[in-house]
Amino acid sequence: MSHNRLIGGLLLATVALPAPVMAETFSLWVRADGSNFMPQIVEAFNAQSEHSAELQIVPTAELVQKYAIASAGGSAPDALSLDLIYTPAFGAAGQLRDLTEFAQDLDYFDSLSPAHLSVGTVEDRIYGLPFSADSSVLIWNKDLYREAGLDPDVAPTTWAEIREHAEAIDALGEETYGFYFSGACGGCNIFTFMPMVWASGGELFSSDGSEARFDSPQMREGVEFYRAMVEDGLVPAGSQTDGGINFFAAFANGNIGITPSGAFAIGALNTQYPDLDYGVSYLPGKDGAWSSFAGGDNFVVSAATDDDKMPAIEAFIEFAYSLEGQRLLAAGGALPVRSDIAEEALEGLDPRYILAADAMTNGRTPFSPVFNDLINSANGPWITTLNRAFYGTADEVGETLAQGEAEMQSIIDDAN
Amino acid sequence: MIGLLYVAPALALVAVFFAIPLGMTIWMSLHDWPLMGQKRWVGFANYERMWGDSGFWGALSFTGTYTVAVTIGLLGLGMILALMVERPGRATAFYRTAYFLPVVIGFASASLLWAWLSNVDSGLFSPLMQNLGLTERRVNINADYGLAFWSVNVMVVWKMVGFFMVILMSGLQSIPRDYLEAARIDGAGALQRFRFITMPLVRRPFALALILCVSGSMLAFDQFYIILNGGPQNSTITAVYWIFNESFVSFRLGYGAALSVVLLGILLVLSAIQLRLLRDREDGS
Repeated sequence: MSHNRLIGGLLLATVALPAPVMAETFSLWVRADGSNFMPQIVEAFNAQSEHSAELQIVPTAELVQKYAIASAGGSAPDALSLDLIYTPAFGAAGQLRDLTEFAQDLDYFDSLSPAHLSVGTVEDRIYGLPFSADSSVLIWNKDLYREAGLDPDVAPTTWAEIREHAEAIDALGEETYGFYFSGACGGCNIFTFMPMVWASGGELFSSDGSEARFDSPQMREGVEFYRAMVEDGLVPAGSQTDGGINFFAAFANGNIGITPSGAFAIGALNTQYPDLDYGVSYLPGKDGAWSSFAGGDNFVVSAATDDDKMPAIEAFIEFAYSLEGQRLLAAGGALPVRSDIAEEALEGLDPRYILAADAMTNGRTPFSPVFNDLINSANGPWITTLNRAFYGTADEVGETLAQGEAEMQSIIDDAN
Repeated sequence: MIGLLYVAPALALVAVFFAIPLGMTIWMSLHDWPLMGQKRWVGFANYERMWGDSGFWGALSFTGTYTVAVTIGLLGLGMILALMVERPGRATAFYRTAYFLPVVIGFASASLLWAWLSNVDSGLFSPLMQNLGLTERRVNINADYGLAFWSVNVMVVWKMVGFFMVILMSGLQSIPRDYLEAARIDGAGALQRFRFITMPLVRRPFALALILCVSGSMLAFDQFYIILNGGPQNSTITAVYWIFNESFVSFRLGYGAALSVVLLGILLVLSAIQLRLLRDREDGS
């Protein structure tokens, strides 16, 4: 009797069980900048899913080349977390898989970072989904503010105030400087200098990216603001040749009053320089207002990826978008990309992240398929022009910017 | 037949590591070949485009200037050092080792070291010069074309001179002592012995050193990329740096390949000229 029931129960169980899901493994790349959060997310995903991800960390500066070579050789990773500014170039080259349907079926699609999606969308098809975020912010050294007799809890909100505070801090001594920026680093300046121009009403490109607007009154004023601080010795001499190596380290040394930086600095300062007392605020425009560069990574899938692997990849994306995934992301120093649960994900973390996350929601990302040529290249027109103008004389600024605009335009035209 | 079999491994190596890559490069140079996406046959369009590419010719002319400067430094100092350590004497082994030591450092590591030493805020040179009273304030070496150029030249000479010293030293050691003694007995002074005995007899190793030095310098990249990022104001971009930018920053592999082919041609011509100028008299001339 009991025997029969057991068999019946077994039969029932067999019938009731869903068809077994094929466990799939997919390969995933991330740039080295993501090594603080990606391994944790992958580990947590592998621990609880029947699928698994195989993570490879690639040096940041080599990711594009490595991907292109792997792709040409048929060994591209199934998915990768890609610096969002490259999404248009990758998408336009037919390297990426269309994720539109999957993305639009997500319940929380509307709360995903709009800046990420704007560069992840090419001709109305979505190729890149927001994965991690990093916004640009202004940071200041509270200890130096106290020493200089300034209120350490009040951030400068206009360019004039930045200048005023920088002067007070610079007066503290020979080895103390008011302000710092990496004057030979294209990526650093699009991230931190451009938002101050945006906040003042300036633009770099026309909305479709086909026209360069480098030489605008707002840009001239912004350049002059930096240039005058350089001329008056408020900025260390090394900034002129800093291609980005000291972008973070200069402020961390503790002898710089104010520097435009990014949300990434919050995590890095807290773990590596726990004794440095600093504040985080918005990047101001000339007379107030503020803006930010919405940076970070888009999650993309290679065009050649096998259909069988898609369930595993989709499961991974959904896990990354869960509260647990967003928390792991935030704990690793990146900002959440889902605004509806951002606050929850940041709970218990440094409150300065909240401001950076807020900066993100109003952040902008310039769109250009030749972004690398124009902006990121150490020899491109953006940084070459800025460098000449920042460290030149006042009467040359206009001419230098006009020349830079022409160079940019010719590169844009060349690509079309 | 058997002979062909014996050289087959060598032929295979040459094919795999030279002929095929060279053929590929030439093939690529005839295409519009983006880093990602579809390639397209364009014939000689890349080569035509090169005529109007002032950036490339500027880079090539800078590379030429650098090659002349650094070759004079390397071979001049290399010869002086070789003369100093040629004969066994007290501590000769020590000096030979000391001069040769930097050669075993990689170019990238040496450049990184130099980048730090020449940093105006946290490096060595600028604060040192200021403290010694040579300059009134700290000078940013890397922000001035002249200073940056010579700074890199000094680095390269420091790093590579030991290598050329060894080549020239082996040449000097192969000169029979009798010649020099005979000249001395005939009353030739030190300078005359150098000019009329040593110089002509060291010709062959010198030609080798010259060709290695010129072709190495024409291909310079790491030091300018790492220390200067091609700055100040893109004034120190070498030919290879330009090719790198075209290929991996602008993603135009086909055009980069065309530039590489042209650079290869220039190097071949330069090497042929040097070999001709320095060939031994007895081979007829």
